[in-house]
Amino acid sequence: MKILSIAWVNLRRVTRDRTGVFFLVALPLMLVFIIGASFGGATTPLLGVVGEAGALRTEPSVRVKDFPDEAALRAAVEHGEVSAGLVRTSADTPRMLVRADRTGQQLRMLVTTTLTREANRSAAGDFVASHTGLDRATALSVVDSVRVEPVEVRTSTTGEALFPQDFSGFDLGAANQLVLFTFLNALTTSAALVESRALGVTRRMLATPTPARVVVAGEALGRVAIALLQGLIVLIGSALLFGVRWGDPLGAAALLGAFALVSGGAGLLVGSLCRTQQQSTGAGILLGLSLAAFGGCMVPIEFFSPALHTVAFTTPHGWAADGFAALTRRGGDLLTVMPHLGVLLGFAVVLFVLGAWRLRRAVTA
Amino acid sequence: MSVLSCSGLSRRFGDVQAVDDVSFSIAEGETYGLLGPNGAGKTTTISMITGVLEPDAGEVVVAGQPMSTSAIAAKRLVGYVPQELALYPDLTGRENLRFFASLYGAARARVDHVLDVVGLADRAGDLAREYSGGMKRRLNVAIGLLHEPRLLVLDEPTAGVDPQSRNQIMDNVRALAAEGMAILYTTHYMEEAERLCDRVGVIDSGRLIAEGTRRELVEQLGERDRISLLLDGDLAHAATMLGGIRDVKSVAVHGHGLELVVDDARECLPVVLSAVTSNGVVVRSVEVNEPNLETVFLHLTGKALRE
Ligand SMILES: Nc1ncnc2c1ncn2[C@@H]1O[C@H](COP(=O)(O)OP(=O)(O)OP(=O)(O)O)[C@@H](O)[C@H]1O
Ligand SMILES: [Mg+2]
Repeated sequence: MKILSIAWVNLRRVTRDRTGVFFLVALPLMLVFIIGASFGGATTPLLGVVGEAGALRTEPSVRVKDFPDEAALRAAVEHGEVSAGLVRTSADTPRMLVRADRTGQQLRMLVTTTLTREANRSAAGDFVASHTGLDRATALSVVDSVRVEPVEVRTSTTGEALFPQDFSGFDLGAANQLVLFTFLNALTTSAALVESRALGVTRRMLATPTPARVVVAGEALGRVAIALLQGLIVLIGSALLFGVRWGDPLGAAALLGAFALVSGGAGLLVGSLCRTQQQSTGAGILLGLSLAAFGGCMVPIEFFSPALHTVAFTTPHGWAADGFAALTRRGGDLLTVMPHLGVLLGFAVVLFVLGAWRLRRAVTA
Repeated sequence: MSVLSCSGLSRRFGDVQAVDDVSFSIAEGETYGLLGPNGAGKTTTISMITGVLEPDAGEVVVAGQPMSTSAIAAKRLVGYVPQELALYPDLTGRENLRFFASLYGAARARVDHVLDVVGLADRAGDLAREYSGGMKRRLNVAIGLLHEPRLLVLDEPTAGVDPQSRNQIMDNVRALAAEGMAILYTTHYMEEAERLCDRVGVIDSGRLIAEGTRRELVEQLGERDRISLLLDGDLAHAATMLGGIRDVKSVAVHGHGLELVVDDARECLPVVLSAVTSNGVVVRSVEVNEPNLETVFLHLTGKALRE
C-alpha cells in the first residue's frame, strides 16, 4: 500500500512536468512518424504534374497533384511536399524532377512505363484508323478491346530479405524508438530521486512509520511504472496513429514488461549514485543514447558489422530490439522471444539489486 | 510521565562530534526549546529523536517506545517538521498531505483538518511551488500533524517567514501544547522561545550546557529581574517600606529613583506599586528589566543566537 503510494507520487510528478510530458509522449511519437515517413512509409507516393497527367491519373500506385508551373513544382519537390514532379507540356519531351532517393527512382520507372504504354496505345489507334478507315475514337476502342494477358514471371526467393514485403518504415522505427525512449526517459527522470533526497523528502519519509526497504521498493516501483508508461505510450500510440504492427501481443507485452524492468532498474541505480540532478540527467542522456546506438536502435542491427553485432548483444537494447524484430519481422511469438526475455530479466535483476543497495545506503547514510 | 526522554545521545561525523552526551526529557503538554548557534548539533539531535539517524551512543524513548531507525511503533508517535521544506513542489498542497497521510497511516479526513488548522484550506489545490514562503512553511508544519502525534518535533519551523505566517505557526504550536502534545522546538528567534517554551536547553558544540525555565537559567547566571522607579516624595521611607516586601531582595536609592532587585518582576510589580502609592509617593515612571534568554545565551556560548 505504502509502496504503491510512493510509486504513484513518482508517476504523478513525471506527468506534472510539461517538458517531461513532451519527452514522454510527443517526441517519441514524432520520431516514429519522421523515421517511418523517411523510410518510405505506407502511403502511396504523390506525383506533382505540370500539364497533362494522362494515364497516370488512373494509375493506382501513384496519386497526382497538379501544379500551375515548373517553379512551383520544383519548390514542392525540394520541400518534399510531393515525392517527384513531372513536366509534360504538349511541345517538349516530358521531364521529371526527382530527389535522389528510392521513391524518386521508383516513380521515374512508373512514369516511363505508363507514358510509354499511353504512346503505344495512341500509335496502335492511328495504325488501325489508317488501315480500316474507322474514325480515331472507334479505332482506339478496338485497340482497347485487344486483351493482352499479362506475362507471368515466375519468381523464386533466395537469401533472406532484410525487411519483409509488407513491412512499413513505421514498423521499423517504432520498436527502436520504444526501446530508446523507454530506457532514456527512465534514466533522465531518475533526477527525481536525487531531488527527493536534496529536498529532504526522503529523510522525512524515513521519519514516518515506513521501513527503509519500503521506501526503496516504492521508489523502485515508481521507476518501473514510468518506464512502463513510456513503453505503452509508444506501443499503443504508434499502433493507433500509424498502424504499426507489433506482432504477437503476448510476446510484445512480455518484452515491454521485461525491458521496463531493465530501464527502471537502471534509473534506480543512476538516481541513487548521482549527487546532483545535473549529474543524473547528464548520465541519463549519455548512457541512454550510447546504449541505444550500440544496441541497434538508431541504425538497424542488420547493417552492423559482425564485431558491432556482437557488441549490440551485450546491451539490453540489442536484446529488446532483436526481440521486437523477431515478433514483427520474423513472425515470432512468445516462445521465440524467451531467450530475449531471459537475458533482459537477468539485466533487470542485477540493476535492481545494485540500485536498491545504493539507494538504501544513500538514504540511510 | 515524560513523553520524550533521551539520555546520553552522541553522534560523530568524521572528526566532528556533532552531538555529545545529550540528555533531556519533555513532559506531556510541555514545550521544550532547544537553542544553539549554527552547527551546535540541534538538527543532529532531532534526527536521532525522530529515528532518521542512528546514534553512536545513548537512547531515545518516546512514550515508552524505544526509538531507532527501524522502530515503526515509536515513529507512529512522533510528528516531524524538518528544517528544510521537505515537500514536493510539483504536487499540490493536498497531494503532498495525502501522500504523507498514507505513509503515516492517517485517515484521509485528517488532510482537510490539518489544512484548516494551518489556514491553507483555500489554497489546497495549488501547486506547492506556487505558495509563498510562509505558506510553504505552514504546509511543512501541517505534514507533521497528520497523524496526531504525541510528540511534535519542529526544527526551525519559522525560518525566514513573514510575521503573519509566523504568528499562525506559533498559535498552532501553543494550541497543540494546550491539548497535551509534547513539543520540541528549535529556533534562532529568541522571542519565539520566550513566548512558547516552558523550558529551554542551550546546546553548543554538541553539548547541552544549560537547561531550565527562563528564570532558572537567568538565576544560574546570577542575573536578576530589576524594577526601576522614578518617584516624587519621601524616597527613604518608600525604600524601607519596599525592603519589607518578601519578593524584593534589595533596594538602592539613586537621586530621585529607586532600583529594586526582585524575584519575579511581573508578579511583584502590582504589590510594589500599591505599596509606594499608598504612602503618598507619586510614581513618575516605571521600568522593568527582565534578563532575557538572549543575555543567557550570550553568557553561556559567547555567541549571539543569530549570526
Ligand atoms: N551528514 C553530516 N555529515 C557530516 N557532518 C555533519 C552532518 N550533519 C551534520 N554535520 C555536522 O555536525 C555539526 C552539527 O550540525 P547540525 O546540523 O546538527 O547543527 P544545527 O544546530 O542544526 O545547526 P543550524 O542551526 O545551522 O541548523 C555541524 O558541524 C555539521 O557540520
Ligand atoms: Mg539545524
